[in-house]
Amino acid sequence: MTQASSATLDKFGNSTPKYAKRMMELRRSGSLQPGVVALLVLFFCGYAGYRSGDFWSALNWQLLAQPLAEAGLVSLGMMFVIASGGIDLSVGAIVGIAAVTAGIAAQHKWPVTAIEAAALAGGMLCGAFNGLLIGVLRLSSILVTLGSMILFSGVALALSNGNSFAGFPDGLLWWNDATLLGIPVEFLLFLAIAAVAAVLLRSTLWGHYVIAIGSNSVAARYSGYPVALTLFGVYTLQGLLCGMAGILLVARLASARADMGRGLMLMAIAAVVLGGAPIVGGAASVIATLVGVAAFYIVQDGLLLLDVPPFVQYALTSAMLLVAVAAGNLLRGRREDRR
Amino acid sequence: MSSISSASGRLRPNFHRHETKLASLLLLLGIALAVAAPRFFSSVNLALLARSMGVLLIVSVGMLNVILAGGIDVSAGAILAVVSVALVRLGNHELPASVVLPLGLLSGASLGAVNAALIAELQIPPIVATLGTAGLFRGLLLEWTQGEWESSIPPWLNAIGSPRWGGLDASVLAAALVMLAAAWILHGTQIGRTLFRFGDSPLSAARTGISPRQPIYFAYISLGLLTAVGAVFYAAQLGAVQGNAANGYELTVIAAVVLGGADVLGGRGSLLGVFLGVLLLCSLQQALVLLHVAAFWQNIATGAIVLVGVILSSAPRLHRTPILQQSSST
Repeated sequence: MTQASSATLDKFGNSTPKYAKRMMELRRSGSLQPGVVALLVLFFCGYAGYRSGDFWSALNWQLLAQPLAEAGLVSLGMMFVIASGGIDLSVGAIVGIAAVTAGIAAQHKWPVTAIEAAALAGGMLCGAFNGLLIGVLRLSSILVTLGSMILFSGVALALSNGNSFAGFPDGLLWWNDATLLGIPVEFLLFLAIAAVAAVLLRSTLWGHYVIAIGSNSVAARYSGYPVALTLFGVYTLQGLLCGMAGILLVARLASARADMGRGLMLMAIAAVVLGGAPIVGGAASVIATLVGVAAFYIVQDGLLLLDVPPFVQYALTSAMLLVAVAAGNLLRGRREDRR
Repeated sequence: MSSISSASGRLRPNFHRHETKLASLLLLLGIALAVAAPRFFSSVNLALLARSMGVLLIVSVGMLNVILAGGIDVSAGAILAVVSVALVRLGNHELPASVVLPLGLLSGASLGAVNAALIAELQIPPIVATLGTAGLFRGLLLEWTQGEWESSIPPWLNAIGSPRWGGLDASVLAAALVMLAAAWILHGTQIGRTLFRFGDSPLSAARTGISPRQPIYFAYISLGLLTAVGAVFYAAQLGAVQGNAANGYELTVIAAVVLGGADVLGGRGSLLGVFLGVLLLCSLQQALVLLHVAAFWQNIATGAIVLVGVILSSAPRLHRTPILQQSSST
């Protein structure tokens, strides 16, 4: 035993440098990646603003904020799903079902709140179906949601008969038109939900269960955690958020179609991963997810203003995902791949 | 799953196997069809069914390799589109088949190698890596074609796709050859065994001296190559291709493999299961077309049958496996 007056001692009596513990926490949580992504996006913003005068205009950011809010809601749900060690491929189809439900409700001249409630209920029902199979029957999430994705998109098509709906009441379109201090209410709603999600994740027992199940479901089961109920909640919440995204999408486009949520699934997974969350689960951060989804939309919008052809934009945003994850891996050091 | 259960599953005949259940499901479908649509069993329709299975079966065998290795590839549809467009474009530039076909297969294999490199060298999780490359390949392809259709295909490609031998075409023959070759590689060669071992548990494979590189590169390159083979028949049968071709095809392929009882966690799956899965999916589609059912009901039926397959394949696990062996990804 040597005397270690300045450095702290761990429980084995070894002295550790003061910063080591903090560094280990940083590495474990992978929290470097959202920072790096945010920094790169800031550089990109600087470049885009320098090349295009429209980039910093208020209108550009207003137009940008609305699709960001819709994708962001789905990404928040996906964050919980991925944190719990699962994945949800059916989100796009659920958004489609919610949109079609809203369309049918509007066709029957229901009041605005009833339309919204119907869409939310439709989304939640789909999520609960996934949750039942994954949480209670303990089936693999990727397989269940692969099947339910095909099933739900068929149901959405059957409900709408392949038609698109129009003629929504003004009360519903309010979500698209209204602004507060120049900020679209869609985006404010998204921020409010994100705050709720952060509280759920950090300060509730349920959030603790989600992370515990994601890091080791066997240990969680042995610890007496309500695994089935928690997972059921995770997928139902995802369904609810998809329903919300569906309503906002319908309000923005003033029409509803069964294939409306196409592309949202890949977008949401990519946003969560871009924020640095491990795809195997066990960790999540609302801020990182916000950074991930914002990075996608800001870069896409900037490329558009820089006159990059649309298909190249698509390729570049995909390449950005690969580069960010590879860079995150290198930063974190090549740790053991725990599949 | 534990290596013990998967090994014993292959060594002794087991009548609780997933394939047996799948075959009985097929039998039920067959009986229902014999009552509802006897035309289904006409030789013309059966030949059509075989032709519709060819491409899906070829690509699914590649996907089985990837899933056996514990991976997943959602870029297969994009690779299929890239290769089929490249084949048709090069062929239309008066290049002979003897140049175009090897080039097409090579491009498929190298796109698979890109996936493998991202996964093995940069340690990007398979679903993320292939999600990224799917967007990358598809975006670059659409930029190349500018969304235009290639509506005429070279005559030699047309000849490949035209039916002969009593309504069958070359894709059926190719699918049979691919199945035979895959059976030999998976069960008769060292690399095939490595694929099972690595997929079962990468950690114990590493401890017995198996490098993760070999199975990962083999799995993704073989999928790229087989996707390219599938692309030849895809373009030949369709007679026209465009940049958005085969959008979402990878999900059908994964559904077929999973329906065949392959475990997405790796190490478990069989060629027979894949064949039965493809047969079930394709005959369901064909039957619904014969019965004049609207297109969205086909989606509903396909989704439902995939879910039934998933529940069937997990049922023994629910009853028998002690909690300790439950996999950590619920």
